[in-house]
Amino acid sequence: MTTFIIRRLLLVPLLLFGVTIIIFMMLQLLSPVERSALYVRDFPKNEKAVDGIIRRYGLDKPFYEQYWRWLVGIKDPVSGERNGGILFGDLGYSRTASQPVNELIKNRFPNTLDLTIWTIAPMILVGIWLGVQSAIHHNGWFDQAARMFSIIGTSFPTFVFGLMLLMFFYANLGWFSPGRLTDDLMQVVNKPTFIKYTSLITFDALLNGRVDIFLDAISHMVMPIITLSYISWATFLRVTRSSMLETLRMEYVTTARAKGLPERDVIYKHAQPNAMIPVVTLAGFSVVGLLGGVTITETVFNYPGIGSAAARAAVNLDVVTVLGFAIFIGFILIVANLVTDVLYAVVDPRVRLS
Amino acid sequence: MPELLLDIQGLETQFKTPDGIVHAVNGVSFGIKEGETLAVVGESGCGKSVTMLSVLRLIPSPPGKVTAGKALYQGKDLLTMSDEEIRHIRGAQIAMVFQDPMTSLNPVMTIGKQLMEPLQLHLGMDNNQATNRAIELLEMVGISEAKQHLKDYPHQFSGGMRQRVMIAMALSCNPQILIADEPTTALDVTIQAQIVELVKRLRNELGMTIIWITHDLGIVAGLAQRVLVMYGGYIIEESEVKELFANPSHPYTLGLIGSLPRIDDNDRSRLFSIEGMPPVLYTKPNACPFAPRCKYVMDRCWKENPTLEKIGPEHKVACFVDVKNGRNR
Ligand SMILES: Nc1ncnc2c1ncn2[C@@H]1O[C@H](COP(=O)(O)OP(=O)(O)O)[C@@H](O)[C@H]1O
Ligand SMILES: [Mg+2]
Repeated sequence: MTTFIIRRLLLVPLLLFGVTIIIFMMLQLLSPVERSALYVRDFPKNEKAVDGIIRRYGLDKPFYEQYWRWLVGIKDPVSGERNGGILFGDLGYSRTASQPVNELIKNRFPNTLDLTIWTIAPMILVGIWLGVQSAIHHNGWFDQAARMFSIIGTSFPTFVFGLMLLMFFYANLGWFSPGRLTDDLMQVVNKPTFIKYTSLITFDALLNGRVDIFLDAISHMVMPIITLSYISWATFLRVTRSSMLETLRMEYVTTARAKGLPERDVIYKHAQPNAMIPVVTLAGFSVVGLLGGVTITETVFNYPGIGSAAARAAVNLDVVTVLGFAIFIGFILIVANLVTDVLYAVVDPRVRLS
Repeated sequence: MPELLLDIQGLETQFKTPDGIVHAVNGVSFGIKEGETLAVVGESGCGKSVTMLSVLRLIPSPPGKVTAGKALYQGKDLLTMSDEEIRHIRGAQIAMVFQDPMTSLNPVMTIGKQLMEPLQLHLGMDNNQATNRAIELLEMVGISEAKQHLKDYPHQFSGGMRQRVMIAMALSCNPQILIADEPTTALDVTIQAQIVELVKRLRNELGMTIIWITHDLGIVAGLAQRVLVMYGGYIIEESEVKELFANPSHPYTLGLIGSLPRIDDNDRSRLFSIEGMPPVLYTKPNACPFAPRCKYVMDRCWKENPTLEKIGPEHKVACFVDVKNGRNR
């Protein structure tokens, strides 16, 4: 197991290199002037200043030199401060958000992470449950109903379904509202007395003993959670169901029955752990998808995560921000892949022990 | 106490498939006495496995269904008892070993856990007792350093070792009957012999009744007292074992015996096999199901399906032809 993890870890630098090269190549498509946002805040207006910046930051140098500078940054000859340098976490300056890209990520990502954490159970666990039940009641009414229900979910364009939820739960019933928190509670959160242990509002609320804030935060997430879950259930159902059906035909399931085990144990102790192996991969991808920011869902529900920020940057052609996000998401992808591989090894001893 | 430990009467099993209803077992009747070893032979697809799985109600349903018959175990019908009742018989009183040890053990559960399961379930052992018993069982089937192997997973074992584990698992609760469904078919020849020897030894030590399914008549001679030959979901010959080899009376049995390799015979051309394949029956035949492949076939064989008739004190056959002279019986 340890060697397995070490081997995977050794791959990480290689993957990072790949991600940075690809994104750097994309940056090269921009003009040197646009690329200056990697190092300076203000977009210079007069031409002389522009030339000065281009020269100072070597934006006209060969690409490998530029790549290196992009990685480690450039020392300002006057103040001696470092500018840029993605290896130091400096992803440039976001025009649309009027703050450095890494600040933007620092502000937005916790919200996305919070939403992801609370979406995992309804999306993945319920999806798996639906799949297992469908397989057990293969071709029965539950199977048919669950399939219909989840396929409808997948066929909805996200924004249509989102708007329907808004109309129903927000406009008509007034149960849930879009956004992150009710205004007055947001003010409480932003006060220094509210200690940010994790930056995740739901967890910080509990740690600060503010159940009201916790419940308010959750109620603002209900609609995005329903949307994200509903559009994913069909996939989880399909993968789990077919994997489970295949497993139930395996001889070791007959062995388990021949031992005299009750059907419940045959299904949940023998069949399901085997059927989960392909589902782990899907779950890993789905979580990566959520962490990368769910652009449409966040935008529809006005949720301040990185997805809605990325959407705004993209619409305004703020390429430095978009690519800064791309690096960040690439990094998340690498970490999540590692976690998925480890999970894979946990569920399958054949992977773990080979 | 009835004379027969297991008494199967008129068992019929069918499968619903997209091509129609497959008649896999067509009115099979046989019995087995306590302590006896019964061999069931026939090519692949003759209904041997389905017969045994039907008895323990392990047929996948749908598509399978036992449509008629009784399976009396100690006088009680396994086919009509409650799910709860049959659960206490499976593994505890009638245990089964399957053909392919590569697929019959759960790949994500340790050998130890799989062995301990029936012990805890049927004998109510706690973890400690079950662990100790699992070690004993592994040693009993000839696996050394048993304790270390408890934490292993099936993929770390060879096929022969896995089949030993399956046998240990089947015998863990001291069952009355062991049903071994082609336990050596998937193994190398040398390993096959070891497994047969192992089962013989354990039979002598533990004294269980055995139903041994095989498509290899060669194994049968030294192992079983009685033989059933199956074809197309029918029993077509039933005999005491020496009598069967001395006096095979169904052309199919004759073919099976003829296809056995002989140590004293270097002429490979004599090693013949019966041409063709066993049928998949979509209707109950009103001809002999073996007729299309039979060398002795007569007019009558196409018009009627022969029933199993007594031809000697411990010998029954379902054939119109007397294979000794090729004439009507
Ligand atoms: N799950 C199933 N679905 C359809 N037909 C089946 C199924 N299992 C077995 N059969 C049919 O039952 C017949 C007997 O099979 P089986 O008992 O496995 O033969 P064998 O003598 O090799 O053990 C075969 O014709 C097979 O096609
Ligand atoms: Mg079989």
